[in-house]
Amino acid sequence: MTTSGKKSKTTYTRPATSKIIQLVVGVIVSLWLFWRVYQVVIIQQAFTPETWVRLGMSGLIIGGMYALIAIGYTLVYGILFMINFAHGEVMMIGAFGGYFVLEALNAVYIPGSDQALVNAYPVVSIILAFILGMTVAAASGYFLEKLAYRPLRNAPRLVPLISAIGASIFLQNASQLLFGPRRRDYANPEVLSRGSGWVIQIGDSQVMFTYTGMLSIALSAALMIGLYLLVQRTKLGKAMRAVAQDKKTAALMGIDVNDVISKTFIISGALAGAAGVMWGIHNGVINYFTGFLPGIKAFTAAVLGGIGSIPGAMLGGFFLGIIESIGPAALGIDFQLKDVIAFSILVLVLIFRPSGILGEALSEEKL
Amino acid sequence: MPVSIETQKVTKYFGGLTAVNEVDLIVPENSISSIIGPNGAGKTTLFNCISGFYTPNKGKIFFQGHEIQNSSTEIVAKLGIARTYQNIRLFANMTAIENILVGHHPRLTVGWMDAVIHTKRFRKEEKDSIEEGRRLLKFVGLEGLGDNLARNLPYGAQRRLEIARALANHPALLLLDEPTAGMNPQETDQMTRFIRNLKDELGITILLIEHDMRVVMGISDQITVLDYGMKIAEGNAKAIQSNSKVIEAYLGPGGLALSEKFRHKKTKTL
Amino acid sequence: MAEFIKNRVNRGIVFAIVIIFLELIGFTVTVTIMIGKFADVRRATDPIFLMIFFAILGLWNGTCGKDLPQKTIRNFILGGFISGLVTGILVGITAFILGYLNIQGVDLRQYLVQLSSFTIELFLYNLTPPAGAFAHILIFTISGLLGGLLSYVSEKGHYFKFLKEKTTDFFQTVTNHPLIQQIWGKRYTRYILYTLGIAALILLPQQIGSYWNFILGTVGIYILLGLGLNLIVGLSGQLVLGYVAFFAIGAYTFALLSAPKPYDINMNFWLALGFGILAATLTGVLLGLPILNLRGDYLAIVTLAFGEIIRNLIRSDLLTPYTLGPRGVREIAEPTLFGRSFSSEVDYMYIIILTVFLLIFITDRIQNSRVGRAWLAIKDDQTVAQANGVNTFKYKLLALALGAAFAGLAGGVFAARNQFTGPEDHTLMVSINVLCLVIVGGMGSIPGIILGAFVLKGIPEMLRDFEIYRMLFFGVLLIIMMIVRPEGLWPAKRPVLEKRKSAPGGDMDEKAGKTIEGVQDAG
Repeated sequence: MTTSGKKSKTTYTRPATSKIIQLVVGVIVSLWLFWRVYQVVIIQQAFTPETWVRLGMSGLIIGGMYALIAIGYTLVYGILFMINFAHGEVMMIGAFGGYFVLEALNAVYIPGSDQALVNAYPVVSIILAFILGMTVAAASGYFLEKLAYRPLRNAPRLVPLISAIGASIFLQNASQLLFGPRRRDYANPEVLSRGSGWVIQIGDSQVMFTYTGMLSIALSAALMIGLYLLVQRTKLGKAMRAVAQDKKTAALMGIDVNDVISKTFIISGALAGAAGVMWGIHNGVINYFTGFLPGIKAFTAAVLGGIGSIPGAMLGGFFLGIIESIGPAALGIDFQLKDVIAFSILVLVLIFRPSGILGEALSEEKL
Repeated sequence: MPVSIETQKVTKYFGGLTAVNEVDLIVPENSISSIIGPNGAGKTTLFNCISGFYTPNKGKIFFQGHEIQNSSTEIVAKLGIARTYQNIRLFANMTAIENILVGHHPRLTVGWMDAVIHTKRFRKEEKDSIEEGRRLLKFVGLEGLGDNLARNLPYGAQRRLEIARALANHPALLLLDEPTAGMNPQETDQMTRFIRNLKDELGITILLIEHDMRVVMGISDQITVLDYGMKIAEGNAKAIQSNSKVIEAYLGPGGLALSEKFRHKKTKTL
Repeated sequence: MAEFIKNRVNRGIVFAIVIIFLELIGFTVTVTIMIGKFADVRRATDPIFLMIFFAILGLWNGTCGKDLPQKTIRNFILGGFISGLVTGILVGITAFILGYLNIQGVDLRQYLVQLSSFTIELFLYNLTPPAGAFAHILIFTISGLLGGLLSYVSEKGHYFKFLKEKTTDFFQTVTNHPLIQQIWGKRYTRYILYTLGIAALILLPQQIGSYWNFILGTVGIYILLGLGLNLIVGLSGQLVLGYVAFFAIGAYTFALLSAPKPYDINMNFWLALGFGILAATLTGVLLGLPILNLRGDYLAIVTLAFGEIIRNLIRSDLLTPYTLGPRGVREIAEPTLFGRSFSSEVDYMYIIILTVFLLIFITDRIQNSRVGRAWLAIKDDQTVAQANGVNTFKYKLLALALGAAFAGLAGGVFAARNQFTGPEDHTLMVSINVLCLVIVGGMGSIPGIILGAFVLKGIPEMLRDFEIYRMLFFGVLLIIMMIVRPEGLWPAKRPVLEKRKSAPGGDMDEKAGKTIEGVQDAG
């Protein structure tokens, strides 16, 4: 896990014919994409500028959430070389944490008035929601590592993966059994209701910049900056980078490797929890399955940006969010296919740039 | 004298570091040649260039007249170059004899369909292959251990197994990367005799990276010395032993004076 | 000593958390009802049964063993007591709180859906909250104590060790008995067993009824899928998370070719099946070409993405005219044998059984050949495998193509048996299930895969009473399996080659699914 991208090296060569086919296919696909976008955007002018702005904002909002979750994947991968399949569920747990806080605050009224706490003190409520959501998610991350991953520290790679899958299934079902399959509505404070926001004039019409959306973006950015500083400037960050590079040597240098790993999971959990609460506030509904698809998408975003690289995860997350939002419109394809587009872009990028956009940050294979 | 390997100004750099710098090397067929030099001199990198793991940035490599510097490891293996590794790299989860059978892979021809219907060719190749495996196990002194998992074998046995696997390729050239690493003097002697045997009995050309000078001086027909990626000396044992540049490379400046002190101690020849 | 107490307290806390969790998800109620059913239906919800359940858990809670500073009876009992007490207090407090809220009329089901009044009252043994809480404390403490005592007794009397030894001795004497050895060694014994096995396989499907045929048929399909994925993951070491894509393509190609809608081609069953397999294999090859050289996790993600792309495309409005979208394809062709319809459920079982044997045969033959060894070498160390002359690209592609072919076959048979296939049959969960069964069963091991399919598909199907809890325990099972036995239930055994006396290409005991290791032909 590093914050700079280095090119990785494959030590096996592809047959020449395969490379030629790949080049041809690549050119064809790129040409088709460009032509399509040109058609839709320039020729047909199918969408007005404010649609693009709206879609773009939407992409940034969801991209921010993906980025936060993707960072979690990349942190864990950088340190343990394992895919934390249950990370999406950690996000879901965070979302529920925030949900219960807001529910509680919504149920309690200021004595003598008919205003619920959540509306009387919206800022505090939101902050509490985030704090609790991030805390339970972080705790989940911690226990996940301790119970399901630590015993498998030295096992071959597939083994912790299966354990992670098991944990993911367990958490989803536990949530379903405890809280029921029904979707739950987030009780946003009135000032922050979904759909309300600043209306700005763009071109001929108006675009709404929702309060919830702006909050999400701002918070995502803040958390990402915070994480970056943590990894680059603090002692813990340095320890994390050391452990990611070489566990044994880090241990010899006096770093408590288990502690660093636990903290990594706590941090990645907290970020996912924040994303979960954001999701609840912005999208309004959560249930046990909420974390599944974002989890998978965020993982693909992390790989897209170059697994193991934190800026890569951030970039990948935003990139995926924007592609998902703008892609269908720009290509003139049904919005229903947004997942297909997102996944296709992923496949294409990985084919032509196997180590991700920023390149994977792994050391050369020693022979 | 027919040449097994010839490298011409082979250069390999990684970022700013030049690991191998314009090295010219000629290895005669049916000889034992050693490459020595301080750690980091570029010996394994040179091996990796020859065996196809790396493509040199500059220069050419010829094997029995064919240009191979751009060839992949698989092609190089098919051409008849086999190698062992500094840190043993066996197929840990396969048995010893299976490891040897994989080494034999490029000399076989059957595919999956032959396997499914057990064609005559398949049955013959399988039988011959296993026979060869048993033979090689015996040859390296591992008879009876063939069905043990490779990772369960003791260290010395693993080293010998790696050589057996390389021999299964029926190679014309064998690259040995520090074959006596981690061995006591007795095991080292055995290994040295074994290596000489390979050349004498099987006619294989051997190119060796070694740190143990008794081994190097004892069996090498030719010694090449690298330091910081460059060839600084080449010749037979006697010439290398008294070469001032070599001594300085190992002992640092002033090493010459230091070695004078010890010059009267004889080195054992094997 | 302090360490010991801390450990016991921790254990009590862990047990308490688990029990409270089980309570909150309503599992304890379900178990109570089950126990009641065994005993006496009328009193099915009598709190006695809950007490029994908790008492059993409490006994387990109280067992001590290696964590004792000294193995005195006092310590055993103390250990059990402490754990029991801690658990009892925590559970009691929780029960008290829940009971109190319930009495106040708070409907907790809004937040924790299983907590109906009934459940909570049962949790308190139908007593008042304080009494119920106290009852918990009592029950857990006493059963904890007894648990400690029990472990002391078994430790002192070496009962467990004794039992274990006696059983192993018994098995040894039986298997080593000269008469048994003689019979086992004779050639014809094996043939008799084979015939019996085959007879069973022919007769059973006719006897066991629709329900079992369906379940075992599904298990069979998953065995096919497992064998296919095994070639890719278990033998050549490529992690593929989108295996269901090939299953889908096989099923859909077969279905679309043989169903009246939408194309009205109505192709013959066998021919359509062949095309299905072909389509799947082709997809495997085309997909593999550009992506095979991706590093492990990237390959996994790309295949996962591919699987999702396929499913979404099938389901989309865009392609519904061609694939019939979410409603799926119906009235697929049925198999015919020599002109006669071969499509009863029993016939389908036969088809599945035959295909399972076919694929086992193919897998085993390939495994024990140069190709199989090349795959294993690639899995262990790809770089070195290539340096030994193995064309890694070709072999990885071969594994992918064959694996896809197996999946295509499975897809066709699956669609035909169900007379239907739709996008919801081809979700990511299918890929995950197959992957789990391969790894839990034992990678690269044919008997392991069969066992894995039974355990991970068969058993959940059978536990219908616990329907809603199945997946929960499935998840826990996966985690526990990986911690306790990561090599799988029936790990692959490397063949004996050096010392083997039989001809190369080997015998195979298909019933047991083992490769015969060095069995001396006594006959």
